[in-house]
Amino acid sequence: MTLLSVEGLNVRFPTGDGTVHASRDVSFSMEPGEVLGLVGETGSGKSVIGQAIIRLLPASAKISGDIFFDGQELTRLPDQRMHALRGRTISLVPQNPSGSLDPLVRNGMQIAEIFIERGEKKQAALDAAKNLLVAVGLIPSDRIAREYPHELSGGMRQRLTTSIAIAEHSRLIIADEPTKGLDYHARETTARVLAGIREREQASLLLITHDLYLAERLCDRIAVLYAGEIIEIGPASQVFRNPRHPYTQALIRAMPKNGLVPLEGQSPSLMALPMGCSFASRCSFMSDRCCTDHPGLIQDDREGGVRCHNPCSG
Amino acid sequence: MSQPVLRLTGLSKSYGHGDIFAGISFTVDCRKTVGLFGQSGSGKTTLGRCIMRLEAPSSGQILMQGTDLARMRPKELLRLRPSFQMIFQHPEVSLNPRMSLAESVAEPLMVRDRIGIQEALKKIAPLIARVGLRDEHLARYPHQLSGGEVQRAVLSRIFSLGPKLVVADEPTSMLDVSVQAQVLRLMQDLQRETGVSYVFISHDPDVMCAMCDEILWLEMGKGKMYSREEFLDRVGTEYSAGAPV
Repeated sequence: MTLLSVEGLNVRFPTGDGTVHASRDVSFSMEPGEVLGLVGETGSGKSVIGQAIIRLLPASAKISGDIFFDGQELTRLPDQRMHALRGRTISLVPQNPSGSLDPLVRNGMQIAEIFIERGEKKQAALDAAKNLLVAVGLIPSDRIAREYPHELSGGMRQRLTTSIAIAEHSRLIIADEPTKGLDYHARETTARVLAGIREREQASLLLITHDLYLAERLCDRIAVLYAGEIIEIGPASQVFRNPRHPYTQALIRAMPKNGLVPLEGQSPSLMALPMGCSFASRCSFMSDRCCTDHPGLIQDDREGGVRCHNPCSG
Repeated sequence: MSQPVLRLTGLSKSYGHGDIFAGISFTVDCRKTVGLFGQSGSGKTTLGRCIMRLEAPSSGQILMQGTDLARMRPKELLRLRPSFQMIFQHPEVSLNPRMSLAESVAEPLMVRDRIGIQEALKKIAPLIARVGLRDEHLARYPHQLSGGEVQRAVLSRIFSLGPKLVVADEPTSMLDVSVQAQVLRLMQDLQRETGVSYVFISHDPDVMCAMCDEILWLEMGKGKMYSREEFLDRVGTEYSAGAPV
């Protein structure tokens, strides 16, 4: 049974200078225990999708489309019921761990609060918190539990917020850029912790990242975003080995290990999107039709899809 | 054999609480790139800042084309400064937010050659075109530019002075993968065209291998030099999937 189904999601932000189309006609679904990667570059609209699912977008956002989670439609769910889901059934590993931890609260208590809120005694809650610290590799857990967030490195803070997100055994964990700003060593550790969550918790993981290595390593399926749209979706091995959209191909070729081939130009402004394909001006396979006719997401027989008039055969 | 652009011998830096690094020695030849690799906190940036003499090393020599920078007086340093330059990690703080891009890119030439902005812009025009900036960019302020555009502007500022050595401190770690490829390719092209040498700081092994001829791995205050192949071997063993968290 499908756990999450996003159908035709549009998110717009009206501003003084015009409307920002942050997310356009985004549709995908996730099965229980699946890891789906939303990959894309800065401003491609990937974080907005995660925020829309957990309903943490600012009030100014205009949202249309449906988000079904376990049969319930989330965008129209009363606040109180959404509040009950948030952090318990759906959790978020936020993008900025430093800004998400209380600087005046010891690390152990940051996690233990959750259990205390649930009605457990303080000591039992702290013991449970230490178990979670061990689970994400923060050892010795006794010492780390007594310390404050500023005494941890960036990678350790990232693991601490991850441990908070898994405290409630959520069914869906949304990890927003979990490796941003981390060095190679911390990135590897985070990747292992996230892989471990999947094995132990059997939760579904929505991994929002611009880190293609991480996505390749962890994901079952990948959705590639460009200018607010999914331009290609499919099993991770296919997307990485036989990308069909010219943008996905360019992105993979630009990785240092794949030749560092630059993709010239920039993505279009989300306030002034072209009439045809958003990628047309940078695409080497562009035809006349690409400039006038906006391509839809064409589903193919390999349980994937591509938004392109001239997709590569793969 | 010609003299190396940079030769470090026994360079050490300690703060009150102990050594950041000690006994670092290596050379960088003309048109070559040496990488500094290591975890956060391993001292890569401090070593880069010592080479630039933005910080004074505690002991050792920094021979820049034979002249020791380590003990040079500020006035003498000032004279040599144009020949060694640095690119910083965070593009958003690399340029003065109150100056337009035209003012920022013209500034080094205006100061060195004591000329006006128009003359400086005329001199630097080929370089601005070379790094892929257009006239429309020049009127803008740093906050109106993307990270990649700022790094291009920084490159045109630096190369306007014809440097012999550039210390690049994670110049692309805040950029997207496609923009990273644009900036790194541009740096490689500029190296081919001008013969500049780089000290390239990064914590990304793949970027290291794409950019560097040799890589100094910093850990526990010591440095060990690797060829690209040796470096990849070690990265493969240390970060294989079976290693503990």
